[in-house]
Amino acid sequence: MSRKLRAQIAVSLVSLILGLALAAQFKNVQKVGGSVSLQRTQELTRQVQKLEQENEALESQIREYERRISEFENAAKDEGQSNKLIYEELERIRMLAGLVEMQGPGVVVTVNVKYVSEWGEDAIIQNVRYDDLLKLVNELNAAGAEAVAVNGERIIATTEIRNAGDYIVINTNRYSAPFEIKAVGNPETLEAALKLLGGVADDLGAYLHISIRRDDNIRIPRYSGTLQYKFARPLQENKS
Amino acid sequence: MRLRKDFLVISIMCALLSFFLIKAFNIQKYGYDIGTSTSINKIQELTAQLKTLESSKEQLLERLQNLESQISRYENMIAENIYMGEEVQKQLFEARVLAGLTDIHGPGVEIVLNDRKKDNIMPDEMFSITDFIVHDSDLLEVVNELKAAGAEAIGINGVRILGNSRISCGGPTINVGKDQRFAPPFIIHAIGDPDALAGYFQRSDSIYHILTFYGLEFSIKKLDNVNIPRYYGEVSFNYAKPVKEDE
Repeated sequence: MSRKLRAQIAVSLVSLILGLALAAQFKNVQKVGGSVSLQRTQELTRQVQKLEQENEALESQIREYERRISEFENAAKDEGQSNKLIYEELERIRMLAGLVEMQGPGVVVTVNVKYVSEWGEDAIIQNVRYDDLLKLVNELNAAGAEAVAVNGERIIATTEIRNAGDYIVINTNRYSAPFEIKAVGNPETLEAALKLLGGVADDLGAYLHISIRRDDNIRIPRYSGTLQYKFARPLQENKS
Repeated sequence: MRLRKDFLVISIMCALLSFFLIKAFNIQKYGYDIGTSTSINKIQELTAQLKTLESSKEQLLERLQNLESQISRYENMIAENIYMGEEVQKQLFEARVLAGLTDIHGPGVEIVLNDRKKDNIMPDEMFSITDFIVHDSDLLEVVNELKAAGAEAIGINGVRILGNSRISCGGPTINVGKDQRFAPPFIIHAIGDPDALAGYFQRSDSIYHILTFYGLEFSIKKLDNVNIPRYYGEVSFNYAKPVKEDE
C-alpha cells in the first residue's frame, strides 16, 4: 500500500513538472509574438514617417501651383503679361533641367593633387579620385547649390562622375586634375558646408590640395550634350 | 536505506519543480512587458495615424491634379493667342520631361539595398557593425554607377533624383533629395537599357562587390516596365539667374 502511494506521488510529481515545462514553453511562444509586434511597430513607424514626408512634398507642390495660378489670374487682364508668364515658365523649367547658362554668387572650389617631397623628389600623395568630386558635389547640393558645374560640365540629373582608367568621366567627357567646381547659391552656406570641422574639405584635404573661394558672380554653362531619352517615356501624353 | 533513496528522488524533483516555476514566472513577466502593453496600443495608434495620413495624401493628390489641370487650361488659353503657341506648348512639355517634372516609365532595373540581416552575423567576425549597414556614400555610389551606365531617370524609394538632389547621412536614416528621410531597405528604380544597367555592377571596381562581400543585401532585377514618379516639391532659384544673350 505504502509503495503504491509512493509511486502515485512520484507519477503526479512528474506530470506536474511536465505541465509546468509545457507552460514555460507556451510563454516562450508568446514572447516571440511580442518581438514580432515590435517589428510591426517599427515597420508602421517607418510607413508613417514616409507618408508624412510625401504629404509635406505634396503640400509644397500645391503651394507652388497656387502661386502660379494666382500669377495667371493677375495677368489675365493684360495679354502681354500673360504671354510673358508662359515664356518665363518655359525658362524656369529649362533652368531646372540645366539647359540655361546661369550666373550668380557662389563658390569656386579647386581640387588638385598634393605634392610632398619624397627622397628629395616631388611626389603626389594620391591622384584625385572620382568619389572625391562626387562627395564635394553632393555636399554642395546638400548646402542648397542651385547650379553646379565641374570643369565646365553642368551637373544635371543624369550626370555621372566616374573613373575610366586614369581619367574621370563627367557627362561622358574625360578630365583629369586639376578640377574646378563652380556652384551658385548662398556663398556663406556653401563655404561653411565644405569647411565644416571634419567635413569634406578636411577629409579630402589630408591628401589633396583644396581651395575654396567665394565669388559674387559665377557663370555656369548650360548642359552641352544632347538630352534625349531612348528608353524613358512620359506617363501622361502631351495634351496639345 | 531504501527510504533515503526515495527522499533523494523527491528532493531532486522538488528542485526541478522550483526551477521550472521560477523560469515560467520570469518568462511570463518578460513576455508581458514587450508583448501586450507597449505594442498593441502602439500598433493601434500607428495604424490609425497611417489611415489618416493615407486619406490626407489622397486628398492632396486630388487637389494637385485639379490645380494642374487648371494651370494647363490657362497655358492652353494663352498658347492659343500667341504666335507659334503650339510649338511653345510642345517645348514646355519636353522641358518638363527633361527636368523631371513628369511621371515617367520604361524598361530598367529595380535594385534593393538593405542592411545585413542580424542573424547571419557571426559573433566572432572581425568586422565592426558599421561594415554591415547601408551608408549614404554607398547609395551615392550606386546612383552614380547607374548614371554612368546610362540611366535616364532614377528614383530612390519613390523620390525622383534630379541634378541638385543630395544623398546625405541623417543619423540612422539617409536624407534623399531635398528633405526626405529613409531607413533601409532602399529601393532604387532606374530607367534605361536593363542589360547595360545591371551589367555595370559586374565591373571589377563596382560598389556591388564591396557591399555583397560584407553580406549586405544587394539585388538587381531587370524589368520591362519601371514607373518613376516625378519630382514633387518647390523649385526656386534665389541666387542663380539666367544669363541673357544680349548682356
